[in-house]
Amino acid sequence: MVGMGHVLEFQNITKEYRSLFGRRFLALDGFTLQVEGGEIFGFLGPNGAGKTTAIHLAMGFMLPTRGGGRLLGEPFGHAATRRRVGFLPENVALYPRRAETLVRFYGAINGMKAAQLDRRARQVMGMVGLQDDAKRNVSRFSRGMLQRVGLAQALVNDPELLILDEPTSALDPVARVGVRELLLQARAAGKTIFLSSHLLSEVELVCDRVAVLDHGRLVRIGKTADLLQAGERSEIVARGVPPGTFAGAIVKDGAVRFSVLGNQQRPTLERIWELGGEVISVVPQRRSLEEIFLEVTGGAESSSWEGAQ
Amino acid sequence: MKAVLLIAINFVREQRWPILVLLLWVLLLAFLGLTTEAARQRDDLLFVFKQVAVYFVAFSVFFGCSAIQNERRNRRILSVLSKAVSRQQYLSGLVLGITIACAIYCFALGMTGSWTLGEAGFPALQVWFLMLCLIAACTLAGTVALMFSTLLNPFFAAGATAAVMILPALLSRTQGLYYLAYAMPVSTLATTVLSSSFGSPGEVTWLPIVLAVAETLVFWFLSARIFSYVDIAVSVE
Repeated sequence: MVGMGHVLEFQNITKEYRSLFGRRFLALDGFTLQVEGGEIFGFLGPNGAGKTTAIHLAMGFMLPTRGGGRLLGEPFGHAATRRRVGFLPENVALYPRRAETLVRFYGAINGMKAAQLDRRARQVMGMVGLQDDAKRNVSRFSRGMLQRVGLAQALVNDPELLILDEPTSALDPVARVGVRELLLQARAAGKTIFLSSHLLSEVELVCDRVAVLDHGRLVRIGKTADLLQAGERSEIVARGVPPGTFAGAIVKDGAVRFSVLGNQQRPTLERIWELGGEVISVVPQRRSLEEIFLEVTGGAESSSWEGAQ
Repeated sequence: MKAVLLIAINFVREQRWPILVLLLWVLLLAFLGLTTEAARQRDDLLFVFKQVAVYFVAFSVFFGCSAIQNERRNRRILSVLSKAVSRQQYLSGLVLGITIACAIYCFALGMTGSWTLGEAGFPALQVWFLMLCLIAACTLAGTVALMFSTLLNPFFAAGATAAVMILPALLSRTQGLYYLAYAMPVSTLATTVLSSSFGSPGEVTWLPIVLAVAETLVFWFLSARIFSYVDIAVSVE
């Protein structure tokens, strides 16, 4: 994974939108990020954080107000480099054609040869589970099926880098598992995946590293495993100790329950034994990505505020 | 080049319904040719032919104005430009698409015109020259509209295109500055089509066609330059 160099690089990018009447909106504010080759990188953030703007800048759909970046070693907007990239937009919009014809169209404008395209189009339709619907017009497809055709067109050129903006948002649970397996297979084949998603449980399952964006700024970045383990707590259940001894302890079924930080676990257990108590269980409480997300974006406060309304 | 051609064909395919509806006018001319006595009502036939021909200039402006905006609004442009397609190639595809749409229409009109008007004594070769004038005028008008649509919404782009096409012709007539008519030869080419008659089918003058082709290239280049600085994706967040 590491050692393949930066596949995607945002260098101090600021993007400002201006309305006709001079109103300004700062979508990205000094945003810097590097994505290594061969990793699945999770790109998280609440709505309006600037995720899609960052992706659109990388794809050359927009120009940054300040700063710059590189995609597969070339500056953003370099058309020939996009031949090595697969992109799935957030809201898939496709021409009303037969699914396989459409995938062939996207492969052909990407410079693929006809003979190679025939085989590859059939292959990717199978990969996204649409082999039986390949001859159907996509205008009759459900949103989930459109999403899968979108994924097929992103995969048709066998890209080195996949940039996926909410790839599983419209999919049913079975299809989500399929996409997850597809991503893992792609990583195993040495490809890099830049994945923007709101489905934190999925990001947690597949991503090697994650970054959280909020109000156009990068607020957290790190290896998924490190983030989940940082500040890990354990729940301790003990008997024969006074409940007031430990902060936040509750008594249930005659046992005292409370949680402590990982580095406090050993002294706490020794304290229980000193007091003549008996330790019934120590269960590590792993933090979820959702908790981290809410913590760094201030979402915990806003959700409790909404709940109070 | 392959990508340009595919984008052009895709454009024509997307515009197939308006093109088919316009072809109904050609069908009307064919119907008139079948049901009327060509020799006696030849002026009426020529009038319909000229009207049907010049309508397409307006429709090519419509095609040019709406092409990019439609693609941006429905976000299909993102999937196309996420491939190894530069903005210049994309615009070239649209200009070629407009030209192909014009060529399809002009071919149908040329076939019908040379049959209906030919029977009434109008030189068939002149019909095809008029169609060439029409293709040049439509392609130029569509390209100018496309250029304005990279900056403006379709409504204002259509207005700006109309102004650019009509103003030189107006000035040329009112101020007597005849060379101004050639500054934007759409009106000159349209006038060539509209002023032809059985008595005077018109001369084969290539200058307006050459100027129209040259100006199409200039406006295509300008469109590409402007479009390369435009944010094509409106953030959905």
